[in-house]
Amino acid sequence: MTKWKRIKLNEFKFPKVTDYNKEYLSYGQLPQGVELNKINKTNNNLIIENLNNNITGVGDEFTSHVMANYNTGISLYIPKSTNIEDPIKLEFNMDDENPTTIDQNIIIASANSESTIIFDYTSKDENNFHNGVTKVYAKKNSVVNIIKIQRMDDKSYNFDSNIAYIEGRAVVNWISVEIGSDISGSNFTSILEDEASEGNLASIYLGNGTRKMDLEYTMIHKGRRSISNIETRGVLMDQATKVFRGNLDFKKGAKLSKGVEEEFVVLLDPTVKSHSIPALLCEEDDVQGEHAASAGQINDNQLFYLMSRGLDIREAKQLIIQASFRPILDKIPMDDLRDLILEEIDRRLLNG
Amino acid sequence: MSKNLLDIKDLKVNIDDIDILKGINLKINEGETHIIMGPNGSGKSTLAYTLMGHPNYSIEDGEIEFEGENINDLKADERAKKGIFLSFQYPEEIPGVTVEDFLRTAKSSVSGKKMGIITFKKVLKEKMKELDMDDEYASRYLNLGFSGGEKKKNEILLMSVLEPKLAILDETDSGLDVDAIRIVAEGVNKFKDENRSILVITHYDKLLSYLKPDYIHILLDGKIVKTGGIELAKEIDQKGYENIKMEFSN
Ligand SMILES: Nc1ncnc2c1ncn2[C@@H]1O[C@H](COP(=O)(O)OP(=O)(O)OP(=O)(O)O)[C@@H](O)[C@H]1O
Ligand SMILES: [Mg+2]
Repeated sequence: MTKWKRIKLNEFKFPKVTDYNKEYLSYGQLPQGVELNKINKTNNNLIIENLNNNITGVGDEFTSHVMANYNTGISLYIPKSTNIEDPIKLEFNMDDENPTTIDQNIIIASANSESTIIFDYTSKDENNFHNGVTKVYAKKNSVVNIIKIQRMDDKSYNFDSNIAYIEGRAVVNWISVEIGSDISGSNFTSILEDEASEGNLASIYLGNGTRKMDLEYTMIHKGRRSISNIETRGVLMDQATKVFRGNLDFKKGAKLSKGVEEEFVVLLDPTVKSHSIPALLCEEDDVQGEHAASAGQINDNQLFYLMSRGLDIREAKQLIIQASFRPILDKIPMDDLRDLILEEIDRRLLNG
Repeated sequence: MSKNLLDIKDLKVNIDDIDILKGINLKINEGETHIIMGPNGSGKSTLAYTLMGHPNYSIEDGEIEFEGENINDLKADERAKKGIFLSFQYPEEIPGVTVEDFLRTAKSSVSGKKMGIITFKKVLKEKMKELDMDDEYASRYLNLGFSGGEKKKNEILLMSVLEPKLAILDETDSGLDVDAIRIVAEGVNKFKDENRSILVITHYDKLLSYLKPDYIHILLDGKIVKTGGIELAKEIDQKGYENIKMEFSN
């Protein structure tokens, strides 16, 4: 587990997995031909077909654990040229009775289809545990939007591995919101398989208290003229630790492709640890890879300026955080989700 | 006689162990307009920041009383709630926060009352019109990309929305064109009444011709060395600080 050195997770012990019994799935009108099923060990061909296809994600130990122990999740098949207008929503709310969510999610988006799937992970009690794998197969010209919100309790653990196989002219838009858990590791990998495949990842993270997170975003360019974009905004305070890894990997054949990654983090306290590790790998010359990372200390003068107008220190920080997150939050098309996120941020500032 | 609002007694302030303010005494009553002039680096902004409660400026000695209460240990937001306002010499840029959102948040913090979005929009629109500011500023990010003059106007907009008891204007006239100075002065005059006081830091007498100040103070090397009427400002405008410096050089 060399990967986990920085957040000191070398001897992680997996908890005992029990069933997840709560209702978690909601959706609106499903067009004809859409197949949406809850997953359990016995019922699912799609899953079984995909079992051989293990991925590394946040680490082999974690993804193998999901393969062996999954207790929930969905499989979704969207036929050709089908647009699912209402988002499909999965809400996992862990507690003492349902302390573990080990979800396997398989999404097959046929050519020219369009869909949005939201995952919201929350937890109430100590030692709740999430470990999941989500696989997206975006066929030609399809658009898949995946929104993942992780706002679990401070004593919980979160591990999440995501991968998308993106065919020609298909687009996968990931939005990741990381604002909870004691330790959180998430990986989003997009494989841009063909001509003009496109992968976008927009994320925000908030680290407070002594929380630790390891975020890895990988874009593997295989197709010509493939496009990727990583845009991350973070805020760290107290003694929080964050490791950010952004990987742009241009394989042979990815001529004329372009990848951009940008991470901007606001450091509210000098006691935080922020590591940013961008990597650019090129097997092809004719590609364009850009990365920008910057860390902004909120300076005392900015805080003083806001406070001199009557905002107390918490309100001033809140305003700065919201301002930093706004460009990403604005990409989330649902007001209620945005409000939930803002509320959770508020709550964390209040406790801090 | 009008009531005392601010009473500064023998105020000594240092930054990084260097003495900047070396014993300031100043009384401001309700409804009065005071001007502070002084050469660059004499400590004018330091006094303004100290009155507003900047954490990096530590009071070594002396007292700041506001409405009879010692406020030495109050934080900036607590002072703002008591009715002190500072128009910054160099307003900070806050990306992502719109002028309107900020003003509404600040107004409800200072007044302790929530104001409806629609009511607030109306108030804001009116005040912006008075200051000859285009509506579109309301939706721009706070001070981001504003010209020097626009930032200053925005400070005055804040003042007129927040309605403090004591407004400290630190070189608000610097960087304003002649028309803008007149508009800002009108804004300040409109804001001022028999209870509200202003303390203006300036290098020029242009703004003063509109403001009808009660007192002019000269700050030199961390001390108020001279107090007088408008004629003092005229003298400095013509002759500079040399004479005064000579007079107080030892
Ligand atoms: N943060 C700081 N650190 C160190 N020295 C400072 C700091 N702030 C101010 N000073 C020093 O204190 C002195 C007074 O500065 P101040 O900004 O109060 O002057 P001022 O009278 O407002 O000048 P100006 O007319 O140029 O605005 C100057 O010598 C300045 O260099
Ligand atoms: Mg100054």
